[in-house]
Amino acid sequence: MASFVPTSADTLEDQRLYTRARLTEVACLDCLATVGVKKNSEHHTSIQWSEDALRACPEFSRMSQRPEGRPVREGCPRMQASIDAAAREGQVPIGAEDGY
Amino acid sequence: MSDTRFLDKGTPPERFARGWHCLGLASSFGDGKPHGIEAFGGKIVVWQDSKGELNVLDGYCRHMGGDLTQGSVKGDEVACPFHDWRWGGDGKCKAIPYARRVPLRARTQKYPTAVRNGQLMIWHDVEGSEADYDILPPELPGVGTDAYTDFTWEVVPITDSHCRELIDNVVDMAHFYYVHFSFPTSFRNVFEGHVATQFMESTGRPDMSGGYGDVDLFLKSEATYYGPAYMINWLDVDYKGFQTEVILINCHIPTGPDSFTLQYGITVKKPEGIDDKTAAYISKKYAEMFGGGFLQDVHIWKNKVPVQNPLLCEEDGPVNQLRRWYEQFNVDKADIHPEMTDRFEFEVDTTKANEYWQVEVAENLARKAAEDAEADKGEGADSDSTPPVMTGT
Repeated sequence: MASFVPTSADTLEDQRLYTRARLTEVACLDCLATVGVKKNSEHHTSIQWSEDALRACPEFSRMSQRPEGRPVREGCPRMQASIDAAAREGQVPIGAEDGY
Repeated sequence: MSDTRFLDKGTPPERFARGWHCLGLASSFGDGKPHGIEAFGGKIVVWQDSKGELNVLDGYCRHMGGDLTQGSVKGDEVACPFHDWRWGGDGKCKAIPYARRVPLRARTQKYPTAVRNGQLMIWHDVEGSEADYDILPPELPGVGTDAYTDFTWEVVPITDSHCRELIDNVVDMAHFYYVHFSFPTSFRNVFEGHVATQFMESTGRPDMSGGYGDVDLFLKSEATYYGPAYMINWLDVDYKGFQTEVILINCHIPTGPDSFTLQYGITVKKPEGIDDKTAAYISKKYAEMFGGGFLQDVHIWKNKVPVQNPLLCEEDGPVNQLRRWYEQFNVDKADIHPEMTDRFEFEVDTTKANEYWQVEVAENLARKAAEDAEADKGEGADSDSTPPVMTGT
């Protein structure tokens, strides 16, 4: 039972477009993690992690061992570098399609 | 006609979120009286027992429905004003003074409690699960000691809007310009597990006063929801070169399908060399500023409609992903989909927006200067004819 139930099938299609469309797979250059990436511009970036990717990331594992735990705000610098490299090499298309 | 965008308002939610909810400052319940709080479509009663423990039960007596919040505290129990049934913090009826024995089934709904940062938290779950103490909001180091001012605390009932409108703000970059009069120069979100966070750097708009509209105001903000209803907002404030560390708590309790109670509190790290009275004054001023910010939001919420299919542009934040995150608290635990809790990072490109906004602000300032000059010149110019400097919203 969802809390907010859309009344139109188009709404579900919109949700799919905004959350899943145009996500390009980017593999980390240093570990086995693979994430979904979308870039509407040079600066704009969406990164969708999965549980598998998170588990594969040694940076995140290291951060988890801190006494206070892993801070959610901190990203993985290696994955960031991998995404930057993929964008530079044209593997991640840059630009939006009608706002998504 | 088929090209016309349809506004999907959706059907109103039928349940209240699972998770920790803050009821207010723990000290406000310590007077030995029962306190009533509207929550989750009903009313709950809060009281402190003789050991100093805070207890929270459903507000209505299971005997004949008397309002326990209008009763009294007798020993460790809350006593119903109708027939004096005594209810303990564990939810059991401890005594019925006029009866030979207490019915075995005399149990009412109790809410597990915890005190965090001097605030009373309760666990709510329509499925009746055990409270998850591992996902309580973090303790704030130093808060509650002499290094910080006492929390200011405000309670604002909000009607005609669902609390998800408040949650949506986590990703809403552009409203900070239009509603709160600031330029967000950097804007980033991360959602993972039960945590959703927003990082923002902003400066005040020089063409506006009120809200955060002040050219001398620089904010560096990290605002994090721990669960569905409790946000800690760490703010590094730079006002005319004067740096202050402010912590804002922004929390709410849903009260109905389209109403909630907003609560917010401010504590300020006492700046070096400043006496307590001045520190308290600074804290009060920031509370007024952020309180004003909430009121700007409330005005929008009360007049808008719910939208399940928001139409977004490239500069908008990830509202669908945020709502997907929020959904985890509103479905049965067994129905939580990995996507709702998987880590998601998002950084908005604010370049285009700021280019446009800088031009708009410059035009507003120029127009205002021209109008002021005109008003100084002509006697005929009365102040009422000066249009307020406003944008399109």
